[in-house]
Amino acid sequence: MKITFETHAGTTLMIPEGRLDFGAAPEFQRQIGKALAGVQAAPAGLVVDCTALDYVSSAGLRVFLLAAQSARRAGVAFALCALQPRVREVFDLSGFGRMMTVHADRATALAQAPEPLP
Amino acid sequence: MLPPETAATASEANMGAREIRAQRVPEAHPPMNLAPALRSAHSVRAAVRARAQLILRPDRWIGRAIDNLILALIVLSVGSVILEAIPGLPAWVRRTFRVEEIIVVAVFSLEYLLRLAAATKIRNFVFSFEGVVDLISIAPFYLAGVDTRAVRALRLLRLLRLLKLQRRVLESTVAERTRELADKNASLEEAQAQLKAELEVARALQIAILPETFPMKPGCDGAARMIPATTMGGDFYDFIELPDGRVGLVMADVCGKGVPAAFFMAVARTNLRDIAPQYPEPGACLAQANERLCAHNPMDLFVSVFYCVFDPTTGKLKYANAGHNPPYVRRTDGSVEALSGAGGLVLGAMPGVQFPDHVAQLRPGDRLVLYTDGITEAFNSADEAYGEARLIAQIKAYGDGAAVGLVENICRSVAVFAGAAPQSDDITLTVLKWGAP
Repeated sequence: MKITFETHAGTTLMIPEGRLDFGAAPEFQRQIGKALAGVQAAPAGLVVDCTALDYVSSAGLRVFLLAAQSARRAGVAFALCALQPRVREVFDLSGFGRMMTVHADRATALAQAPEPLP
Repeated sequence: MLPPETAATASEANMGAREIRAQRVPEAHPPMNLAPALRSAHSVRAAVRARAQLILRPDRWIGRAIDNLILALIVLSVGSVILEAIPGLPAWVRRTFRVEEIIVVAVFSLEYLLRLAAATKIRNFVFSFEGVVDLISIAPFYLAGVDTRAVRALRLLRLLRLLKLQRRVLESTVAERTRELADKNASLEEAQAQLKAELEVARALQIAILPETFPMKPGCDGAARMIPATTMGGDFYDFIELPDGRVGLVMADVCGKGVPAAFFMAVARTNLRDIAPQYPEPGACLAQANERLCAHNPMDLFVSVFYCVFDPTTGKLKYANAGHNPPYVRRTDGSVEALSGAGGLVLGAMPGVQFPDHVAQLRPGDRLVLYTDGITEAFNSADEAYGEARLIAQIKAYGDGAAVGLVENICRSVAVFAGAAPQSDDITLTVLKWGAP
């Protein structure tokens, strides 16, 4: 799984590509942990752009749950955006779709992101 | 002395330095159509090699004795070469040195022959560092004839026997390290085998706690199957007999797999079994189970659960869904419908979640099919998922017979679809066939 990062006005954008399954979950968790630690210094938001995320297994869902929990503890706004239909289905079925902030696309997610601190 | 066959086996098992060296050279296989005489010559050669290897084995007393003898003779002969250089030595001293030299060369020569015999490929030994050093140690004697004083330069060559000493030290160090490594490997392998055996037991236990048969209820024919992806799975199903005569059916999938998932599965199952008799409504039962799981969840795991309470006298089904794939009902006319309806979050993720109850009615001859996503998300080599459509097709096609028949057909269809692709998730399936009592 390939993960890239972008920064947009204080919000960190995390862009995973490929399949988030049992095998890829630990690395994804490590990266998301790093991203949260990074924005912790200047608390704003973390948005995971799922445009290129093809598949999420239950082990992958768990990493999103852990990320949402750590983000809440760190006071970082956490959101997802641009879920593919199959992934959207997994989020809806498990109930995670209602538990987390999910935006239709990146533009909406960034527009809703908290203002960066001066 | 052991018979040759046994000796060869014992020698293969030995991890001494010499055998390691021999192993680098692949065994020369005889051509297919050898004359019997050649074949027997080959087997004689093999027998001799096996015996020679057995004699030289550093872990047996005889090999160690030879080593020590050679070591002593090296020191002795090198000392003699130096002392011989002193001018004006008495004749008897020179004679003693002479005799000593003959004995040393005789022993070294025997040792050289023995090593030649033990070598898997003679040429490789002769041209190896060890082989050359061994040969240099004895060659001056034979080159100069019996009187080595005639060739002073050759006499000095005997000092090269010190190389033989160095070779021995090197060799024994390598042998020791190899033995240590072999010991460590053996204990690692033992530990791994033990761990594997324990996991096998745990897996057997995990499968054993799942109910084998559906409760004996009038008109009910139930069958279930669970195929873990790794040694330990996170899926489970359950049939719980409730005090009012109804039966609770559980289909659940813990996130992830392996030992943590298996532990969480056992906890979740115990909680549900414990709570179910006290909560006749499935939604309330799931809510209570969620509270308990959230209270003690050190690994932040969660489980998706479909829970329904079935009344075998009326065919009435009450259900609630905690983030699980909706089961299917196959009607007698062959149509298949999903038991959808709003569900709640998976259990263990967050406390305070509510799970709405829903009702469905089974008619005589209907089948209820509960499953985990190990079926719909079984992938083949082309990375395609089995999917809901194939599952529904199976349910439509094979839903007429006994419950176990449909279970077998679906499992076989998934296996055929996946082909050689590894099973990435647990596969669990329950079929309940109901005919009015």
